[in-house]
Amino acid sequence: MLPDHATRSRMSGAGKIGLAALTLTGCGGPQSVLNTAGSDARVLLTMLSVMLVGLVIIWILVNGMMLFFNQLQTGAHEERYARYLIVGGGIFFPTLVITALLVWGLSIMPDQRAPGDGLRVEVTGEQWWWRIAYWPEGAETPVIAANEIRLPVGQRVEFDLKSARVIHSFWIPALGGKMDMFPGRDTRLSLEPTEVGIFRGQCAEFCGASHALMAFHVVTMEPADFDAWLAAQAAPAMAPDGDLARRGAAIFAEQGCGACHAVRGSDASGQVGPDLTHVGSRLSLGAGILAPTLANYMAWIDHTGDIKPEVEMPAYDHLGDDELTALATYLMGLK
Amino acid sequence: MKRVIQTLAVLAAVAALAGAAVVLGGLYNVSARAGHWPGVPFVLHTTYEQSVDLRAPSEAEVPDLKAPGMVALGAKHFDESCRMCHAAPGLERWAIPQVMVPEPPHITRAVAGWTAAELHWIVDEGVKMSGMPHWPAARIDDVWPVVAFLRQVEEMSATDYADLTRQPARPEGAPDALPYCATCHGITGRSDNPQIPRLDIQDRDYLEQALRAYADGSRDSGIMHVAATRVPRAQLADLAAWFADQPVDTAPAAPVLDEGLAEDGAVLARAGTTEIPACVACHGPGVARKDETFPRLAGQSQIYLAQQLRLWRDGVRGDGRQSDLMVKAAEDLTDDDIAALAAWYASLPAEAR
Repeated sequence: MLPDHATRSRMSGAGKIGLAALTLTGCGGPQSVLNTAGSDARVLLTMLSVMLVGLVIIWILVNGMMLFFNQLQTGAHEERYARYLIVGGGIFFPTLVITALLVWGLSIMPDQRAPGDGLRVEVTGEQWWWRIAYWPEGAETPVIAANEIRLPVGQRVEFDLKSARVIHSFWIPALGGKMDMFPGRDTRLSLEPTEVGIFRGQCAEFCGASHALMAFHVVTMEPADFDAWLAAQAAPAMAPDGDLARRGAAIFAEQGCGACHAVRGSDASGQVGPDLTHVGSRLSLGAGILAPTLANYMAWIDHTGDIKPEVEMPAYDHLGDDELTALATYLMGLK
Repeated sequence: MKRVIQTLAVLAAVAALAGAAVVLGGLYNVSARAGHWPGVPFVLHTTYEQSVDLRAPSEAEVPDLKAPGMVALGAKHFDESCRMCHAAPGLERWAIPQVMVPEPPHITRAVAGWTAAELHWIVDEGVKMSGMPHWPAARIDDVWPVVAFLRQVEEMSATDYADLTRQPARPEGAPDALPYCATCHGITGRSDNPQIPRLDIQDRDYLEQALRAYADGSRDSGIMHVAATRVPRAQLADLAAWFADQPVDTAPAAPVLDEGLAEDGAVLARAGTTEIPACVACHGPGVARKDETFPRLAGQSQIYLAQQLRLWRDGVRGDGRQSDLMVKAAEDLTDDDIAALAAWYASLPAEAR
């Protein structure tokens, strides 16, 4: 049954409040342009704020004039007065305001190609995850990771953005603007985090069935902490600790997981899927979509495609619960 | 005009009634003993010939029928599946096919006048209402060995045919069906025919899974579907065990024909790419432990490897609980990748189990 008119209008009132509440929740949290943690994002927020305030003032001005001339002083106006108003308010004022905004905006707009302070991070968009390689200054081989980016605060970092198959877009709202990633063509972006914290990035260009499930965590750290972390990431994987983890490592080898995944320090050297050498140290599983719990690890291995539609990884649903537990325990131990 | 229409309607009604009387009243005599009315066999046979002529694939699709082992493999399948109606070189037809309507011709006469492509069409599609069945699988590339044999059959001597299709003697303790399997695969599972995969290198779980998949049709092959349904189901596990228990012949295989190609295959199989998983992680060589339903590939037949990889890549090879893994693994392989991988694996000595 359709609601009657009164009900409908009440509902739409409630809907408006709900929508407003929903919108406001977007102001905070780890993935918001309003909750900035980098110098580039701060500039963008300043521009947004100035434009918003200016827009509100102009909107009030225009509506005020409309009210004034339609309701309060409805008679004919003197022609000279009207001409000043039209030429002044319709041509000079907008030209002046827009020119000023443009000059000011261009002068402070972040240079997305600004040179970095040394660290370069290569990010490749895959279906649907992020292949990541850290190139510290002067490094000859990169430190390989996936689906999580850690950055030192107070340093400008260069991102080399690539894509394997389709167009993706790399976006960390708390740190700056977005940049598209194209197959066969590299793009660049540079960002300068200023505050320590945990943030979230997201693919911002529709890239297929699991586009919405292609995210990552961004952890900004004090430079000393970052260096220690990067050194740990560069090291080979820890040996499995405990019987269950050892059994998991055996199942990992037996099932040929190493055909697609690398675990440095073991025979596993596949390049198709994410590097798992330190997967247990990551804040999420499945590219920013699951908390790294034992149950989630098991579910992911058991029915991958149900969690992330059309994912490249086949489901290992032929494994029993005890085998999945062992495998998950092994992977979670790869700190 | 109205009268014409009325007349036609009445005639149509009478014809329909007459037809119904023939079908429902059993008036048509289906007796094979009674045979056809004069002229009917000519009409039917001409229809058959013209139909094949119209539908056969182009001669350009015919592969190299002289490739090593093609004729032998085709002869063995023919002996199992076709000889009962069409006899064979040096054999007369037995009594039953001689009283069939239409009568299946002796194979040395049946192939006369047909091209390789037309023979492929006939073996693949079969012929309706003639007793000639169609190929018992959706996949039709393994019809070609039979065609290769059919192209030779007119000149083949009785001795040659007997040599090609002879069943070896059953060793003490072997499953009853072993000589049947060994006709192609050899008693130890190591066939000297490059068209036929070797089984001595495989684990028991893999072989049993493959046999069951061939039997239930989930792994598609006209030749192996016939073979796996021909032996009693209860013996499949014993046959798998027999071959898995054979000593692996680890002596290096035949010399590599194209070293550059095998080298490319080695790099791809060992390291993979960002699109292609590293084959060795599941299939060896050199893996300490592997799931026993994954086949070993070192020392396997190059022709067989290339053919199976193409089937996986094209998404037409099912089988087993983990077939999804291989579908994903093979989907990005190019023809060059497949040739390189098959060349490398075939060049390796088999691993001891």
